[in-house]
Formats: sequence, C-alpha cells, structure tokens
Amino acid sequence: MIDLVELYVRYSRRHEPVVRGVTARLSGKHLLLGPNGAGKTTLFKAICGLVPISSGRVLIDGQDVKSLYGRPKLLAVNLSEVYRVFHLSAYDHLRLFADVMCGDLDLALNIAEDLGLSLELLRRRKPWELSAGQQKAFSTSLALASGAKHVLLDEPFEQLDPARKVRVVRHVEEYRGVLVLSTHETWVLNALSKWSVHFMIEGRVYGPLKAKELAHASLVRGEAEGAILRFKAAGGVYSLVPGACGEPLSKLVTLDRIYEVTLGG
Amino acid sequence: MSLYLRLKVKDLLTNVELLGWSIGFMEFWVAMWIFVFSGSQAVGEWGVYVVKIDVALAYSFLGLLSISTAAIGLTYSIFHMSRAARYIVKFTKIGPLRLVMEDFLGSLTAILVYAAVIFSSVIGLSYLKWRVLALPENPLGVLIDLILAGVSYYWLSYTLALLVLVSGRTRALTMTSYLPLIIGFLAYSQLWVDLGDLIYVAPLCALPALLTYHGTGAIPPTGSYLAWLTGTTTLRAVNLRLAAISTFAWIAVFIAASLALMRRSRGVPLEEIRL
Repeated sequence: MIDLVELYVRYSRRHEPVVRGVTARLSGKHLLLGPNGAGKTTLFKAICGLVPISSGRVLIDGQDVKSLYGRPKLLAVNLSEVYRVFHLSAYDHLRLFADVMCGDLDLALNIAEDLGLSLELLRRRKPWELSAGQQKAFSTSLALASGAKHVLLDEPFEQLDPARKVRVVRHVEEYRGVLVLSTHETWVLNALSKWSVHFMIEGRVYGPLKAKELAHASLVRGEAEGAILRFKAAGGVYSLVPGACGEPLSKLVTLDRIYEVTLGG
Repeated sequence: MSLYLRLKVKDLLTNVELLGWSIGFMEFWVAMWIFVFSGSQAVGEWGVYVVKIDVALAYSFLGLLSISTAAIGLTYSIFHMSRAARYIVKFTKIGPLRLVMEDFLGSLTAILVYAAVIFSSVIGLSYLKWRVLALPENPLGVLIDLILAGVSYYWLSYTLALLVLVSGRTRALTMTSYLPLIIGFLAYSQLWVDLGDLIYVAPLCALPALLTYHGTGAIPPTGSYLAWLTGTTTLRAVNLRLAAISTFAWIAVFIAASLALMRRSRGVPLEEIRL
C-alpha cells in the first residue's frame, strides 16, 4: 500500500509546486488520470524518492520512502531514465535490472517481445537508441517483470500502436500486486473498468472513483448538482456528472482536451 | 564478481570514446616519446641507465595522462547515471555502500587496464628501439603507485560529478569534467618546470615522483625531469615521504568531499541536462 500524506513537490523555491497537497491511499489497481503537465510523472518520481519532497510524506507499506534503501521487490517504476546506467546494450540493461531487482529475466524478455522488442533489437541498440515508444515498452517490461509488490507505470501506452496497447492492458490486468497506471488517454476507462481512478489536474489529486462510473460521465462547467467529482482547472470549476449531459469523458480521447472544453472549444 | 561489477568493467573497456582518448591518443604520444623525442642510441652502461630512466619517465607521465583522460569519461558516466543510481540504491538489492564500492572497483580495474596498456607499450617500443628491456626497479611499487593514481582520479571524478549535481549547474559539466586532465597536465609540466615545494600542495602532482622513484630506484627531483635526465642542472631531490603523504591526503580530501556531496545529491534526469 502506498500512502501519500499532504504531499507537496516543487523543483525550486522560485517555482510553483508541481504536486499540491496530495493525500491518497493507493492499494489494488489504480488509474491516475490527468492531462499532460498535471504532475503525474512528478508524483511518481516523488513516490520513488527521485525528486525532493517539499512537505508531506510518502509511505510505502508504512515506511517513509526517504529512509528506504536496498529493498528489491518493494517498488518498480517504468521511468526510462532509471534504466540507463552503462554505455551498453538494452539487453545488458535488461539482464542487469532483472538481476538487481530480483526479477524474472525470461518474463522481461517475453513481455518485451510481446511489446515489439525482439532479442536481436535489444542486443543491437542501447536503451537511449530505441524509439520513444520502444523505450517505454522496454522500461514497462522491466517494471512488470520485477515481481515488485508495488508497480508504477507512467504513460505506458504513449507512442504505442493500438495492438500493443491492448497487450499492455492484458499484462497490467494479469499483474498481481499494487499497480498504479498514469495516463491521459480516456479509452482506458472502458478497458480497465474495474479499476479505481484518481483524477489529477494542475497538481491536485481527486478521487477515488470507479472507472466504470467515469466512463459514462460527462464534463460540464461550474458546480453541477449531482456531480460525482468537482475540480478546478484553468481558473474555473468543472464537474463530472453521470450521463451524457455535457462533453462525454470517454469521447475526449485525451484529457488534454479538458483545456479545449474550458476554452469553449 | 557481481553482474553490476562485470558490466561496469565491460562498459569502461568497450567504450570507444574512452578507449580512443585514454589508449589510442596516448599511444601516439608513446610512439612520439620513444621514436622522436628520445635519443637514438644507448651506448654503454651509462647509456642503458639513461634509457631506463627515460622509459620510466615515459610510463610515469604518459600513464598519468592516460588515467586523467579516463577520468573525464568517469565524470560523465557518474553524472549520467545519477538518477538511476538513486533508484538502484533504493529499490534493488544493491544498497548505497555496495553501489559506491562496486562502481569504484569497476572503474579502478578499467583504469589499471588502461595504465597497463600504456606501460606495456612503452616497455615494448623502447625494447624495439634500444634493445633494452627497461623493466621497473620495483614493479610492486609501480603497481601500487598506479593504483594510487587510479584511486585519486576516480575520487576526483566522483567529487566533480557530484559538485555539478548538487550545485545544479549542469551546463558546467563539460568544463568541470576536464579538470582531471588539467590537473594531469599540471603534473606533466614537471617534465620542464620545477614546481619546488608546490608539488606537495598541488593536487596529485606528487604522483610522478613516486612512480619515477619506483621505476628507476633513483630519487627524482621536485621537477624539471628532462633537465635531470640530461644531467644539465643540479636539482633538489624530492621528499618521498612528503610526496606519499600529499597523495594520500588528496585521496582523503576527495573521498570526504564525495561522501559529503553524496548526501545532498538527488540526481538529474537526462532530459534536464543542458550542456
């Protein structure tokens, strides 16, 4: 279980916080849904202890992330930057991380293959020589093969073709453990309808809600009655209401379009 | 040997850029030293003795330059893996102490391989030219000196990479990474310049004296090694004990600085690096 307690993250004192007072409990399967720039990746980095926490706490199974060291199988993430260590091939990195994370190399290779990364390609290219989508598939394979109790997948569908997106869905559905998947794509609400959803907009986290519930919700301006969620964006208040009385959320395709809706687009 | 350590060594020994500068480029200067800058004959016992000192100077100074060139690559590699390192020490079986130790051992192994290549080629080429097998008087001493040089430059690289990370001045990486080479050339300048007592104070400038002493068995001067070789000037002999203390002191300073900076370092994502 991951507990976030009044978490604030800012990159420097001069800048506004990227994560603003987030309190949430993450157990089971969760979607972290929000537009690009909402702070989802920064939140994941904070959970991993990769960025300085301005205030608040991140607890993983009750332990503060600041004091966690040498704990394989506790948490894995699919951020590409943490899987670039040496000037060596992607295959060498795959076997290194499968070893040090006490993961399953064969499983990592199978998932990578399933996501379009052949063994030959992994041997030939360094991690940063892979395309953006391949890099994401590479780090997602490692995270899912780690056997960690908690897995964070940051935008695992980004730059993947539809066929591979479906395969990622199958792998995350099969994963046994706490899994938090961040995305700005709304089609996942139907694909992962049994999951819990946290909404993240402009550094704030709202929820949890049921994915099934959100899949049939619509976005309207202002504080609508009977709203299942209200949030602030672009200086205004917006509501998610059940039914099709506004802009259906699942038809937005990407949550980046929230800002177009706020502009009346 | 752990997989991390094996891959670290493989990384440093297969990095074409690192090999090009630390070995390829230095081999050019080895050839220049032996075939262009040195005298052509070794006549008599004195001639052989001069060749042996000349060869010892070659592997001491060029070996140090090779190590300082490798240190540039080390600074980059330490810097670039900073974000991954933080993740590794937290969520893998490699804790902070093990990561530092294995990184150090892997780098030291690679540095010693570079130095061994330079050393062997100096010995080999000098034999080719003069038919004199100029092996060091004290091989163990030379090996220890090379290890000390490797340790010094590794921790210097570590300090510099962490300094860039902690200060957040990522644009300064290129300039900062060249400091080991600048220090290497300061030591190299002793071939012509007598730094006097400064060699005990300037970082890592006492290393050539230790290498030359163990290579030749003769106590070298505090500088102007080429003048010493030709016997044209009377020079003050180096205090070997002070030279050793200076080297160990600098190693201690670099380790202490690295450990202090390590506590404050959080790594920089690659996309935020602007060189």
